[in-house]
Amino acid sequence: MTGQASGAGGAKPKRQGDSELLGSNSEIGRKLKLYYDELVSDEVPDRFAQLLSQLEETEPTQQKD
Amino acid sequence: MAASSGFKADLLAAIPGLRAFAMSLAQHADRADDLVQETLVKAWDKQSSFQPGTNLKAWLFTILRNEFYSQMRKRGREVQDSDGLMTARLAVHPSQPGRLDLADFRKALEQLPEDQREAIILIGASGFSYEEAAEICGCAVGTIKSRVSRARNRLQEILDISGEADYGPDAIAAQVMGSSVS
Repeated sequence: MTGQASGAGGAKPKRQGDSELLGSNSEIGRKLKLYYDELVSDEVPDRFAQLLSQLEETEPTQQKD
Repeated sequence: MAASSGFKADLLAAIPGLRAFAMSLAQHADRADDLVQETLVKAWDKQSSFQPGTNLKAWLFTILRNEFYSQMRKRGREVQDSDGLMTARLAVHPSQPGRLDLADFRKALEQLPEDQREAIILIGASGFSYEEAAEICGCAVGTIKSRVSRARNRLQEILDISGEADYGPDAIAAQVMGSSVS
C-alpha cells in the first residue's frame, strides 16, 4: 500500500475493526501507542548490526529455492 | 548473496519493533536485548523456512515469543516481577513531565499476566490483526480478543486507581529510581 516491503518492520496499516477496543478514542489505546513508540524509537545498540554481519559471514544464506 | 543481504536488511529493519515487543514481555532492558539477539540468531538459522513475501514481522515475533516462554520455563518461575523494581531499569528520563504518564502506564502493564500483556501489545501497539496475533500466540482469535478486552479493562482499573496520588508503588519506585517522581 505505502510502497514499503511488507516485511520491513515499518508501521503497517491496521484493520479498523480489529482495534475498536483500543481505537483512537480509547485512552488506553493512546497510552499504549505512546508507551510503545517510545520503545520503538529508542536507539538500537550496535551489537545487533554486528551480530547480523557476523552471521552473514560465518553462515552464508541457507535459502533454498 | 543478494538473497542473504535482503534478508539481513529486513531483519535489521525489524529490530526496533522486536526490541519494543521484547521489552514489553521481559520488562528488563538487558533481558529484552538478549531475547532479540537469540531471535536474530534463530531467524538466521531458520532462514530457509521463511517464505519470502510472507509476513516476516509476524514470523520474527513468533520466534521471539517462543524464545521468551521457553526461557521462562527453563527458569522455572514467572518472569513477571511484582515489586516494581523493573520500572527503575526502564525509566529513561523520569524528570520529563510526559514520561510520568508513561511510567504509570508501564507499571500498570507490568501487572498484567503475560498472556494479556502480549495480546494487548500485539493488537494495540505492534499493529497486528487479531488473526495474526492469534497465530503468533498459537491460540484462537476469540482468545486474543478476550485477553485484549480483559487487559484493557484491567489497565483502566489500575490507572484509575493510581491516577494522581502517590500510592505505595509510586513512592517505592521513586526511591529506587533515586529521583523524585513529582
